[in-house]
Parts: sequence; structure tokens; C-alpha cells
Amino acid sequence: MKPIRQVLLADGNPADSGPALEALTGGRFQSCGMSGDAPIEAKLQRRITGGFMVAVLLTFLMGFSSWRNARLAVDDAGWVSHTYAVMDAIELTSKHVIEVETSARTFALTGQDPLLSHYETVRRTVAAGVDALRHLAADNPNQQQRLDVLEPQVRAALDLAESMVIKRRQRHAVPGARDILETERLMDAVHATTEEMRAEEMRLLIRRTQRTETGRRLTSLIIVAGILVGAGSLALARLAVNREIDVSARGRAQVVTLNAELEQRVEQRTAALESEIAVRQRAEDVLREQAQVLDSAQVFVRDMESRVVFWPRGAERLYGFNAQEALGILSHDLFHTQFPEPLEIIEKKLLETGTWEGELIHRKRDGGIIVVSSAWVLHRDSQGRPVRILETNIDITARKQAQQRLAVQAEELARSRQELETQTLMLQSVLDSMAEGLVAADETGKFVLWNTAAEKILGMGAANLAPQGWTEHFGLFLNDTVTPFPSEQLPLVRAIRGEANTSEMFVRNHKLVEGAWIEVSAGPRKSKDGVVCGGVAAFRDITQRKADVRQIQELNDELELRVAERTAQLRAANKELEAFSYSVSHDLRAPLRHISGFSKLLTEEFGPTLDPGAQHYLDRIQAGTQKMGLLVDELLNLAKVGRHALNAHPAELNSVVADVIAILEPDIQGREVQWVIADLPLVDCDPVLVRQIFQNLLANALKFSRARAPAVIQVSHQEDTEDGQPVFMVRDNGIGFNMKYVDKLFGVFQRLHRPEDFEGTGIGLATVQRIVQKHGGRVWAEGEVDKGAAFYFTLGAGKQAGSKSNAATAGGQS
Amino acid sequence: MNVGELDILLVEDNQDDMDLALHALRRGNLANNIFVVRDGEEALDFLFCRGAYADRSFALPPKLVLLDLKLPKIDGMEVLKQAKGDTRTRTIPIVIMTSSKEERDLAESYKLGVNSYIQKPVDFDQFRDTVKSVGLYWLVTNQAPVADGSKQLAGATHDPR
Repeated sequence: MKPIRQVLLADGNPADSGPALEALTGGRFQSCGMSGDAPIEAKLQRRITGGFMVAVLLTFLMGFSSWRNARLAVDDAGWVSHTYAVMDAIELTSKHVIEVETSARTFALTGQDPLLSHYETVRRTVAAGVDALRHLAADNPNQQQRLDVLEPQVRAALDLAESMVIKRRQRHAVPGARDILETERLMDAVHATTEEMRAEEMRLLIRRTQRTETGRRLTSLIIVAGILVGAGSLALARLAVNREIDVSARGRAQVVTLNAELEQRVEQRTAALESEIAVRQRAEDVLREQAQVLDSAQVFVRDMESRVVFWPRGAERLYGFNAQEALGILSHDLFHTQFPEPLEIIEKKLLETGTWEGELIHRKRDGGIIVVSSAWVLHRDSQGRPVRILETNIDITARKQAQQRLAVQAEELARSRQELETQTLMLQSVLDSMAEGLVAADETGKFVLWNTAAEKILGMGAANLAPQGWTEHFGLFLNDTVTPFPSEQLPLVRAIRGEANTSEMFVRNHKLVEGAWIEVSAGPRKSKDGVVCGGVAAFRDITQRKADVRQIQELNDELELRVAERTAQLRAANKELEAFSYSVSHDLRAPLRHISGFSKLLTEEFGPTLDPGAQHYLDRIQAGTQKMGLLVDELLNLAKVGRHALNAHPAELNSVVADVIAILEPDIQGREVQWVIADLPLVDCDPVLVRQIFQNLLANALKFSRARAPAVIQVSHQEDTEDGQPVFMVRDNGIGFNMKYVDKLFGVFQRLHRPEDFEGTGIGLATVQRIVQKHGGRVWAEGEVDKGAAFYFTLGAGKQAGSKSNAATAGGQS
Repeated sequence: MNVGELDILLVEDNQDDMDLALHALRRGNLANNIFVVRDGEEALDFLFCRGAYADRSFALPPKLVLLDLKLPKIDGMEVLKQAKGDTRTRTIPIVIMTSSKEERDLAESYKLGVNSYIQKPVDFDQFRDTVKSVGLYWLVTNQAPVADGSKQLAGATHDPR
């Protein structure tokens, strides 16, 4: 209801509502900074309260009017019925008086008793009726007065009636005419009084009925008027509500708009303030910087003679001189200034341009040398004459040093970078020029290196795929060339797991249709802290090598086949040789024997008959057969040495030598021979063959020292030689030999002497050499004509490598 | 052929060798009871009393066989092998006289049970001495086992000369 009241109020003064609202909103806008509009609200409040009071009053008035009218109507109705009741009572009393009179007179005339009882009843009723009437009309003094008249009249009537009744009953006297007349007169009086009373009541009735009617009409009028007023009020209220809703909506929209505007304004204001603050802060920073610069910038002023005339604290801080020490002093002397160019040039520039800038080297009061960035500004007086020089010096020593350090560092950096680049380039060119493929992967299997050879060998470049896909992508197969290489066994995969490994595989893919064999060596890649962080695999195309190996294998097989064939042939040839040796032994010796035998028999049986010439020839035949027999025997012996299986074991050589000397005893007969035999070591050798060595060498020694007396034959050994073998020596003091023929000494049938001087077959030393070689040793000789000869040999026992070929090629038999 | 007690069986195919051997034996007065066969087959027939020598008796074996190795038909080694492989002939002393000094032959011969192995020297004097001493040793010095059966003197002695 309150808003309606308010709107009713607004409605009552429409022109006020807009400004009021504006005032309201304006007040709200201003509320942040100012107090509210209490007078307006109070006024409004007052209006609302006044309206409310009027409405309540009106309603009460209407209600009270209705209530009063209703009350009046009820009262009037009461009074009307009261009037009717009074009138009825008057009538009844009148009637009853008449009945009492009538009945009393009748009884008096007739004497009939029943009438008496009726008379008695009515008589009591009349008395009560008069009392009731008096009670009913108590409010009306006029009626009371009339009752005062009526009552004696009634009583007189009743008394008369009684007196007649009593007379009758007591004397049976009939009422006379007088009584009747009296009665008539009393009755008329009563009737007149009651008629008056009735008329009075009728007037009252009419008046009351009229008044009730008026009240009813007034009430109706008031109700109608009230309804009309209520309806009007409702209509007005609705109108006002609608207006209020509109106004309120407009107001809200306006509020929203205004709010937005306000916020925008607040934002703008805030931004403006912020930027203002920033600007101010920057300005402050600049000021601070400037202050610092000014603080650190060292300025002083000197006159044109360079005498210091202004020396601020900044300059003092920089140089350490206080004003007393500096003022008036030539600044260049004070600072021991070192100029970048001659001072004259500097001053000339200063005079020409008014400024000069450059770097100077100054000495401070404490002797410290500083580099300053110096700016000179020339001040002129009003006539334009130069008077002052403002010199601003900034200590850039630290900066200079830093610059120098930086320069050094930069240089170092540049150098190391260049080195790195050089190395990188070198590595790259090495990697690219490598015939070996080199690939590296990180721990996830991502390739980080793939040189050109790798691409060439595999036919493709690095692929960005997981190790599980490598086998298929690159076409990697096991040695059978068809089974895919198991991914988890790939060398690089194993390397990434930390296993160094090497394997061969076959590569065949769409780029390498023919396929290629590669040999891969892979190893884990480790970081500085030793953690495996990938793997490196190096591989090379071994297709050609494989082919070569295969070819070599084939050649080998072929060779082996040929060797086997050749061996078989050799065996056959050897057999043939053996057979030949056998034949030589048997068949050649047999005829020799026969020649020898028969020539001997000829001499024995026919000698005396032969002439001396024939006998001589027979002797020559004998000698020839003997010589040939010896040759054949020695040749077969030589062949036999070659075929002899070496049976080496530690042997005592001194006993061998002693045996040989014993065998040679016949040759010593009649000669003076001095044997010098050293203690010989126990050596691994075949004593049967070594015996032949000593036999041949000692026989030779004896033979060629035949002319010496004494012949000195020495057998000794040297322990330490270059190949760790003891060297045995047989030396004689015989005729010796010329060293230029030394090569011929060990050849078969090679002889250095005429047969008539020294017998021999030229096979002995060849046999020695064969035996020494069979032992894996060496034999050599030293000699000088007429100064004797020395033969040296070693026995590399067990070294039979060279002996087999001898065994294979040599054959023969004695 | 009726062969009585025999001193030496000479197995030699070569006429010259045979002559020289017989000469040497004769010089040594050992040529009284010498029988010569010219090849291995004949030697085996003789030793095993068969073929042309079927009338011979095992009871009268030769006191010494001088056996050359290189023989026609069956070589000396085979003759040796069979002679030494049979209990009837095993006790007959067999001396190989050959030009060969092959170790293989030497070893093989001794393995087969040869009683002596001699290489014929080229020099005739040496040859003669050797033959003489071998004959003397086996016929005179050496004590042969007592042979079964009665000793019969050979009715005929082969002497080619």
C-alpha cells in the first residue's frame, strides 16, 4: 500500500516526480562524496502520511456513517414496534375495561355465575394491563399524564362494576337506570382517554417511521458515495501504480546506464591516474638517475689558463683533492693528464666548436690512475670571449677494464668458437669422408647422427621411428638373408641397452635391391657421469669382403684340392724317388760291385799273365769303382738325412764327439793331433744326425790340417747368441779357405780343392747343412787361407717347420 | 729232385752276384752244399717242399738261406715273411744279403724275424770277407736246433761250376 500512497502523492503532483527521481538518483551518485537529501524525503514522507490520514479518515467517516445509520434504523424500528406494543396495550386495556363492564352488568342483570368468573379474570387482567401500560409508556410523560387520568377512570369503572356485582349477589338487586347511566358515562370517559392515548401513539409512530426512512436513505446515500469514492481511488491507484512501474523501469534503465557510464568514468579516471602516476614515477626515476649522474658526474670549472676556479664536492670525491688543494692549480698538472692527442689540437677544437670530448688519463690524489670520459664546454662572456671551461669527467676506469676483459673474453670466445667450428667441420668432414657408416641414437632410439657413408651403405637416411621398426624399414636380415633380424638383438639396440657388440647382417631394401652385407660394431654412448644415453654403431659394407672371402675360400678349396693332388703327385714322385734311390742303391751298386769283383778276380787269377800296363788299368778300375761306391753311398746318405724323421731329445754332445773321434782314429794314425774339446751343454737334438755333423766336420778338420804338426782341432760353444741358441764351433789350424768362396762351401759337389790334394765327394758339408736345417738351426763358416777354418752351427731343436719341406722334397737312398 | 743235407740255399737272380757270391763262398770252403734258386717263387717252393721241390723234406732244411731282396715274381721280403710265418720253416736261419741299406727294409726284415741283414760292400775284398764270415758263423759257429727226422746226405750237390 505504501508505494501506492507514494504514487498517489506523486500523482497528485506529477511534475514533482521527475525531479524527485532525479534528485534521488543524483543523490545516490553524489552519495560517495556528499550527504543525502533529507528535506525532500521528509516532505515526501509528510505527503505520504497526510494522504494516508485522509484516506483513513474518509474510510472511518464512511464506516461510522453507515454504522450510525444502521444503529438509528434499528432504534427506530424498536421504537415503532414499541409504539405498536403501546397501542396494543391501550387497545387491550380499553377492551378489557369494556369486557369487565359488560360482564359485570350482564351478571347484575342476569345473575348468571359463569359470567362472574369471566368478570373476575378480566378484572385481574385489566389491572395488570394498566400496570404494563404504565411500564411501556414510562418514556413518554404525555402518556403518563394520560395514564394518570385513565387509571382513576378505569378504577372508577371497575368499582362501579364491582358494586353492581356485589349488589346483585347480595340482594339480587338489578342495576337501576342510574347505574346504567353511570356506567355509560364511565365507559365513555375511559374510551376517550384511551382514544387520546392511541392518537398520541399514532403520532409517535408516524414520526418515527418517517425518521427511520430518512436514516435509511442517508445510509444508502453514504454507501453509494463510499463505493464511488473507493472505486475512484482504486482507479487512481492503478493509474499511479502503472506510472510508478514505468517510472521505476525508466529509472532502473537509467540507473544501469548511469552506472555503466560511471564505471567507465571511474576506469578512465583510474587509468588516467595510473598513467599519471607512472609518468610521475618515470619522472622521479629520471630525476633520481639524473641526480645520481650529477652526483657521480664529476664537474669542475677552470679558466682559460686551466686554473681550477670551481671545485665541487663531486670533483673532490673523484680525485681526492679538496677545494683548497685544487683551486687555482693548473688542472693538467694536478691530474698529470695524459691526452689522446696534442693539447694544442684539443684546445683548437674547443675554441672552434665550443666543446671537446675524449678520454683522458688522470692521476688521483692517492696516485691511482683513472681513465675518464671527459667533456669540455667553453663558456663565453657577453662579448663572446672565452672565459671558462666546464670540464665534466666520468670515471670509466672500471668500464674500460671491463671492456678490456670483455674484449679478451670475446676474443677467447671467438677463438674457441672458431676452434669448435674448425673441429666441427673437421669432424663433419671426417664423418662424411669415412668409408664406414656411423650412426648414433639417443636412449629413445632417435637418431642424432647419420653420416653420408651410412646413407650410402644402407641406401637411406635416418628414419624417425622407434627401434622396433628399424628391421623392417631398413630391411635387416640374419645371415641366412631371409630371416628378419630380431629388433631387440640389433647392435644399436643392444648398445643403447649398454652392451658393446659386433655382428654381421644382410641389408636388402627397395634402395638396395641387390642387398649388401654389413659388419656392425656398436657400443653404448655415455654421458659425463657415465650413464648410458644412447648408442653408436659403426658399420661397413663387407659385401666385397664377403665375396672375396668366398672367392678366397673357393680358391683355398681349389688350392687345397690342388695341394692334395700335388701332394698325391709328390707322394707318387717321392715313391718313385724312393724307388729310384732303391734302384740306385741296388742296381747301381750291384754293377759297381760286379766291376770291382770281376776286375779283382782278373787281377788275382790272371795277374801273372798280364803285362804291367793291363795290370795298371785294372788298378785304375778298382779305384774308380771304390770312388763311385763312396759317392753313391754319400749321396744316398744325404737323401736319407732329408727323409730321416727328427727324433729330438736332450743329448750329451761330449759323448757324441768322443764317439766320433774314436771312429776317426784310423785317420789320426801317425799324426800329431791336439784335440781341444770344451764342455758342451746338454741340448735337444737328434744325436744320430748330430753325430754325422761332428763326423763330417771333424773329418774335414783332420783332413785339411793334415800338413800341420801339431794339428789343433777345437770343439767349443758359445752360450749367448742373438737367437738364444748355443753356437757350436769346430775350428782347425789347417789350410783354411778363401772367404770369397764361402758360399760354395755347403753346396752339393762343391769343392774348393783339387781331388788329388784332398780326397772328398763334396757332399759332406751339404749333409751338415741339411742336418742343421732339419734342427731349425744355422750353419756358417769363417776361414782364411793357411790360417785354418772355423765352422759354426746352432741346433734350434724342435723347430721343425722348415724340415718338413725338406722331408717332402728330399729323397734318396744309399 | 732229391735233395739231401744242404748247407746253403742262395736266392739270387743276378748272374754276376751269384757268381761272385759262389766265388766268395768257395774261397771260404763253404761251397760244398750250395743250392741256388733264381727267384722268390722258386725259393718258396724249395723251402716249403712243393712244386719242383715236392720231394724235399721239411726234415732236411738248409742250414742257411742267403736271400736277396730284389727278386723276380715274389720279392725277398715276402719269402722271408712266409718262411718266418710258418712253424715248419721258422727255425731256418735267413740272412738277407742285399745292395739296399734302406732303413725301411732293414726294420721290416727284423720285424719279420730275419736272422741277419748284410749290405753287400762294393769292394770285392770286403764282399768276400763278409760272405765268408757269415757262412762260417751260421754253418760252423752257430749251434742250430736239432732237426726232426734222420739226417740224410744230399745225393746231388748243385754246383753250377
